[in-house]
Amino acid sequence: MSLNKTEIKPKKKPVWAAPWGYTEGWLFVAGLLITGLALQLVAGGLSSSALAWPVNLYAGLAFTGLIVFGWVFLRKNSLVSWLGRVPAAVTSIAMITFLVLIMGFTLQEDAGNPAWVQSLGLSNMTSSWPFLFGMMFFMASLGMATMKRLTPMKGRNIGFFLNHAGLYIAIMAGLLGAADLQRVTMDLYEGEVVWGATDRQGHYKDMPLAIELERFNMEEFNPKIAVITTNDGRIVSESISDMFEIGKGHRGNLIGWDVEILEFHKMSGRIDGRFEPVVDYGAPPSALVRVTDSHGSQVEGWITSGSFMYSHQLLQIDRDHSVAMTIPQASHYSSDVVIYTPDGELIETRIEVNHPVSVNGWKLYQYSYDDRFGKWSSSSTIEAIRDPWLPVVYTGIFMLIFGSVYLMTLGKAPEKTEEQLAAEAGEPSGTEPESNIKGAA
Amino acid sequence: MPIDPTMFTIAAIVLWALGMLLFLIAGERKVIKWLAHGSYLAGILVLAVFTWMLWDILGRPPMRTLGETRLWYAMFLPVIGYATYIRWDYKWILHYSGAVAIVFLAINLIYPDNYDRDLMPALQSIWFVPHVIVYIFAYALLAAATIVAIKGLIIEYTGKQWTWSMQLADNLVYLGLGFLTLGLLFGALWGKEAWGHYWMWDPKETWAFLTWIGYLAYIHYRYHKPKKLTTAMWMLAGAFIILMIAWFGVNYLPSAANSVHTYTQ
Repeated sequence: MSLNKTEIKPKKKPVWAAPWGYTEGWLFVAGLLITGLALQLVAGGLSSSALAWPVNLYAGLAFTGLIVFGWVFLRKNSLVSWLGRVPAAVTSIAMITFLVLIMGFTLQEDAGNPAWVQSLGLSNMTSSWPFLFGMMFFMASLGMATMKRLTPMKGRNIGFFLNHAGLYIAIMAGLLGAADLQRVTMDLYEGEVVWGATDRQGHYKDMPLAIELERFNMEEFNPKIAVITTNDGRIVSESISDMFEIGKGHRGNLIGWDVEILEFHKMSGRIDGRFEPVVDYGAPPSALVRVTDSHGSQVEGWITSGSFMYSHQLLQIDRDHSVAMTIPQASHYSSDVVIYTPDGELIETRIEVNHPVSVNGWKLYQYSYDDRFGKWSSSSTIEAIRDPWLPVVYTGIFMLIFGSVYLMTLGKAPEKTEEQLAAEAGEPSGTEPESNIKGAA
Repeated sequence: MPIDPTMFTIAAIVLWALGMLLFLIAGERKVIKWLAHGSYLAGILVLAVFTWMLWDILGRPPMRTLGETRLWYAMFLPVIGYATYIRWDYKWILHYSGAVAIVFLAINLIYPDNYDRDLMPALQSIWFVPHVIVYIFAYALLAAATIVAIKGLIIEYTGKQWTWSMQLADNLVYLGLGFLTLGLLFGALWGKEAWGHYWMWDPKETWAFLTWIGYLAYIHYRYHKPKKLTTAMWMLAGAFIILMIAWFGVNYLPSAANSVHTYTQ
C-alpha cells in the first residue's frame, strides 16, 4: 500500500483575503525581516537597558493588553483571527528558526566577524531588530492562541493552556527581565571585608551587602600519569586515551610501557631524593613509579607534578620519553564567608559551586579563584546576581514542566486523537482522520 | 582503565543481532518467539548492568563524555523500539532501533573511551543525571520517529508496498518532545544554580532551542495539515539533523568556541 496522496484542493484564494493562511504568513515574515534589517542598518542594535524597570513592566502589560483587547473586541478582524491559528504559529516559528539558525553558525561576538555581519546585527542576534520583530510576532501568535483556547474555558484544555501560557510567561518575563538583570563580581581576599563589585564592563558598584572571606577551600582529584616527549613536555597523543589515575597499587599500560604506582602522597616534600608525606604550604603530590618496557627492563623513580612553589619532576623511560604526573583537577571548591547586611545581620556560610547563597535579593555564586595558587589560593571571586523577574520566569517554567507531561499522553489513543485534532482545527475536510495506513501487522 | 567494556559491548551486540534474527524467522513458532524476546531484552540488560557497574566504579554518573552519552543512547533505543513493538505492534521499529543501537556500540568499540573519574565541580549537581537521561531518552525517541519518516519517504519515492503509519511518528514525537522539553527546562533550572542564569544562548543552548522549536513546528503543522505527509516527513528529517548538530555537531562549530557544553574528549 502506498501513501494516500489524494487531497481536496480548496479553490485558490486571493492573497490578503480572509481567512489569512501561510502565504500571508510568509509575506508577513518577509516584511518584518526587511523592516528589521533596515532599522538595524539605520539605527543600530538594541540596548536591553532601554527597557529597565518600570518600562519593561509597562511594555509587557501593553503587549499582553493589546492581545486580550484584540481577542475580546476584534475577534473577526483578519489579523487577529489569523494570529490565533496555526499558519501564524508555523510561520512565526519558521522566522525564529531562521534567525536562530544564523545565530547558531555565527560567533556571537563582534570580534572576529566581518563588518557587514556586525552591521546587520547578526553577531548580536538577540539584541537586533529582526530578532525583536520575530519574537513579537511569535509572542503575538502564542498569546492569541492562548486567548482563543481560554474562551470559553474548558477543563480539557488545561494541557494546552499550561504549554502555551507557560511558554508565553517564561519568554515574556525572560525578555523583559533581561533589562533588570544585574551580574557583578566581587574579588575577596582572606580577612578583608569587601562591599564593592564590578560589572562586566568594569564599572564599580556599591553593594547592599559586604562579604568577608574567611577561608578558600579546595579538594582535588588524584592526578594522572601520562607519557610525554621529554624535550617539549607534550603528552604523547596516543597516551591521552590511556592515561590513568594515580593511586597506590594502580597499574596500567601506557602505549607499551607497563606502569606501576608503588607509592603515592597527596602532599609531600622532597627529602634526600625521595618524597615523604608532609602538610605544608605549596606541598605538591608525588608518586614512586616503576616502568617496565616491552623487553623487560625496568626503571624506578619519583615523579611530581610540582606546584607554584616546587618544580615538577619526570622519570625518563627511554631516550625521548618520560612519564609525568598531570596537575590535579579541582573536585570541589568553596569559600567560607561572613556576609554583613545593612540591617546589621551577620551570616556565616559557605558558597560553593552549584550551591549559591541568597541574601537580600542577590544570589551569590562561587565564581573563580587565583588559579596560579590552586588550592593555596588566598583569594576568591564571588559572582552576585540579581534577577527580580526570576519568580515569573519560574512560574512559566513549572507550567511548561506539567504541560510537557501532558504532551507525552497525547499519543495514547492514536486514531481518535488525530480525528479530534482535525475536528478541533476546524479543517474543512470531513473525510477520514488521516491516511493512517496500518496493514496486517 | 577501571573496567573493560569490550566483552559487555560485544555481548549486547550479539544478543540484539540474535534476537532480531529470531524475530525475523519466528513466524508463528511460539518457542522461537520467546527466545527472540529473551535475547533482545538480555542485550539491554547486559548493557544496563555494564552502565551500572561503570557508574559504581567511576563514582560519578557516566554521562560526561560523548562516548558515555552514546552508551545511554544505545541502551535506550532498543528499549523504545521494544516498547513501541509491544504497545503498537510495529515489529519493524524493533529491528531499526536495534540496528542503530548496534552501530552506536560499534563506534564505542572502535573509539574506546578513557573512563576517568574526574567530574568538574559545575557538573556535580542533582540536575546532572535527570538532565542528561531525559535528553538522551528524547533523542532516542526522536530517532525512532525519524526512522518512521525515512521509511515513509522511501515508500513515497519508490512506491514500495510497505506497512507504515505516520501516526506512529506522531506518537513518538509527542513523547520525544515532552522529554526534550523536560531536558531543556531541567537544564535551565540547573544553569541558574551552577552558572547564574537559566538561559545564556550558549551555542549548545542555541542548537537545543532550534531542535525544540523544529519539533514544535512539526506538531503544529501536523495538527493543521494532517494530510500533507511529505512535507511533515521532510520536517522530521530536518529536525533530526538539527538534533544531531545539537548533540555532537556543536563541538566542531567555530561559533561554539566558548561553550560550557562541549564534551570532554
